[in-house]
Amino acid sequence: MIKIVIKDLKLFFNDKGSMLMAFAVPIVLITLFAFAYGGVGKGNKSNKIVLQVSDLDNTTESKEAIEQLDSLKSIQIKLKDLEDAENAIKTGEASSVLIIHKGFSDSLMAGNVLPLELKYDEAREIEIGLIQQSLIPTISMLPFRLKGSKNVIGKRLVKMTGTTDLQTQQSIQNQSDNLNDVIAKSIAESSQSNDKMKNPSFGFYGEDMKMTKIIKAKNGNRIGLVQAVAGTSVMMLLFSVVGIGLGLLDEKKEGTLKRLIYSPIKPGNILLGKMISANIMSILQLFIMFHFAWLAFGLKIGSQLPGMIITIIATSFACSAFGVFIASFAKKREQIQGLSILIILAMSAIGGSMMPLFFMPAFMQKLAAISVNYWSIQAFFDVFWRNLSVTDPVFLIRILILFLIGGILNTIAVVLFRKNILKLV
Amino acid sequence: MPNVSYIHTVNSIKKHPAENMIEVKNLKKSFGDREVLKGINFSIKKGELYGLLGPNGAGKTTAISILSSLLNADSGEVFIENLNLRTDTNAIKRITGVVPQEIALYNDLTALENLMFWGGIYNVPKQELSQKANELLQLFGLEDRKNDRVKNYSGGMKRRINIAAALLHKPKILFLDEPTVGIDPQSRNLIFEVIEKLHRERITIIYTTHYMEEAERLCDRIGIIDNGEIIAEGTLEELKKNSPVKEVISITFSDMNNDNYKKLKSFRSDIKLTENIVHFYTSDAKTELPKLVSFCNQAGLEFNNIEILKTNVETIFLNLTGKQLRD
Repeated sequence: MIKIVIKDLKLFFNDKGSMLMAFAVPIVLITLFAFAYGGVGKGNKSNKIVLQVSDLDNTTESKEAIEQLDSLKSIQIKLKDLEDAENAIKTGEASSVLIIHKGFSDSLMAGNVLPLELKYDEAREIEIGLIQQSLIPTISMLPFRLKGSKNVIGKRLVKMTGTTDLQTQQSIQNQSDNLNDVIAKSIAESSQSNDKMKNPSFGFYGEDMKMTKIIKAKNGNRIGLVQAVAGTSVMMLLFSVVGIGLGLLDEKKEGTLKRLIYSPIKPGNILLGKMISANIMSILQLFIMFHFAWLAFGLKIGSQLPGMIITIIATSFACSAFGVFIASFAKKREQIQGLSILIILAMSAIGGSMMPLFFMPAFMQKLAAISVNYWSIQAFFDVFWRNLSVTDPVFLIRILILFLIGGILNTIAVVLFRKNILKLV
Repeated sequence: MPNVSYIHTVNSIKKHPAENMIEVKNLKKSFGDREVLKGINFSIKKGELYGLLGPNGAGKTTAISILSSLLNADSGEVFIENLNLRTDTNAIKRITGVVPQEIALYNDLTALENLMFWGGIYNVPKQELSQKANELLQLFGLEDRKNDRVKNYSGGMKRRINIAAALLHKPKILFLDEPTVGIDPQSRNLIFEVIEKLHRERITIIYTTHYMEEAERLCDRIGIIDNGEIIAEGTLEELKKNSPVKEVISITFSDMNNDNYKKLKSFRSDIKLTENIVHFYTSDAKTELPKLVSFCNQAGLEFNNIEILKTNVETIFLNLTGKQLRD
């Protein structure tokens, strides 16, 4: 029995593919997910959600308010012009913009409703929820924090009660001034513990923040469905096309590639044929996936058909090039099989196939751009969620990048094909 | 696409003024430091069936790989139907068919689908191809199984389709690289019959094998290759006639150690040893055998078996190289 155990262990440790699947793949995935879920590194710096802020008031109070927001652990403030900020949301670069409208300072001092507005992409509702959770308590506490805003609570309370009696107004004002000192002291103490979420929210101002969706499902598509279909389809397509690419190595092993070379067909055409068949199968696969989502889950394709077709073609081109590229690296299937699974899973994890990108820290969101998944999923979002037209530059750039990735990978594959795969003897 | 006429192509290319269908001159090939072909020369006439005979690793497959444009030679020249292999590769590919040593078929396609694919690669028109594929399936006794996937075929059936796939474009020259390895006698006989039929149809054939029976049965001429060199060439009769050896006495000893071998060497110096069998080359076994048995008895050498072989390709090869063809 011991001999069988030893033999099996020897076989296992001698099998590089098994070793890769047993150790390397999980290690890489654990690392990626640890980064993605923010479980790596000291503190929470890497987990900050980026919030664009557009300051249209441009007063001492508004700047002070921005400073207060910037001190939040969970949010990283980026000051931007409103137009740039809105474009960034439309292109998916940012989830939201907090607009401090003109009159913020006056409203604050007068105890009026603060002219604050959060414009956002509905697609990123989880991210927006997190932003709201951080913003509302802070906005509520602004009157207690900002210099020169000592009496505004009283003024606000007076307005809220709607009383016209001067004596009552004065009484409310006096009591709130006393209360103000107590609350300010409490804030000072709690701010030392850096735990903003324990700050009391009195609902004076936070509830007044206007929420505006600047991207919403005009065609009735659900964002989760788009994410699920696009993310899964692209990841599974990568597995399929790598299988097709590895078919080249099978042909080499089984002698059919050699037989093709005996014929008058040019070696380059053998690879071209493989690339074309991979493209056709990829297009077919994506079409079936999206039509399944239409039939089974009601994905609205209708008017998005041209954009969907373009995205499917571009994705298929990039993914099939990736499949042939991976295969051309090796001389034998065994050399690349395990590694290809590792690469696809890693690309899918960072590219947004396995989870929405906003879950990930900023550096990983930037890293996502190296994956085919990212550009493809974003293009599908453009079509099914952001409702961009096929002539929209943002959409076209993503499509162009997919074709560019495909072109580069195909070129490298041709060179490696000659070097690795055509060496038959 | 219309069928490409290689005849037109051939006429439009500068011809080499030779009469042979295949002419190989001083062909050399090395892999790293290992010299696999050391300057081989041979020529084959139209309609001739030429056997390239040698043990594994002798250089047969490398020679075929060069002749079928899979490999480039380091030096030397090859002319096929007066075309230079180096410059007129595609024209040559159109008139040659190659049956590789391995079964190079798509296992998940049916036999008919495989044939239609491999013929299509040579741009054979669809109707003509379909007719030819069915003819070949009939010829190889596989018409009833033509719609079965190749993966469900026996080894012998796969070998037959492997050959058929090289005949669809009606090649003038056929390279058969050990086409009967590992098959049943029935399939082997069928393949022999097909090869003999092709030979009668005046197709020029190069046939590599390490089975002497195949070479003797099929080939007009035989080139014996060993260590990258052609060490003898001719018809079977010529090879026999030119061989100094007419018969071989092969004695299997129960224990063949160095001392025993030295004793035998003292009796005859030109003996050859393969495992525990000692081969004595002679022109007259009848006279030689009693002397040999008497010597063994006197020297205390125990033997289990004695065999007298008439001269054949195997004995010629053994005499030339000291090795057996199936080494």
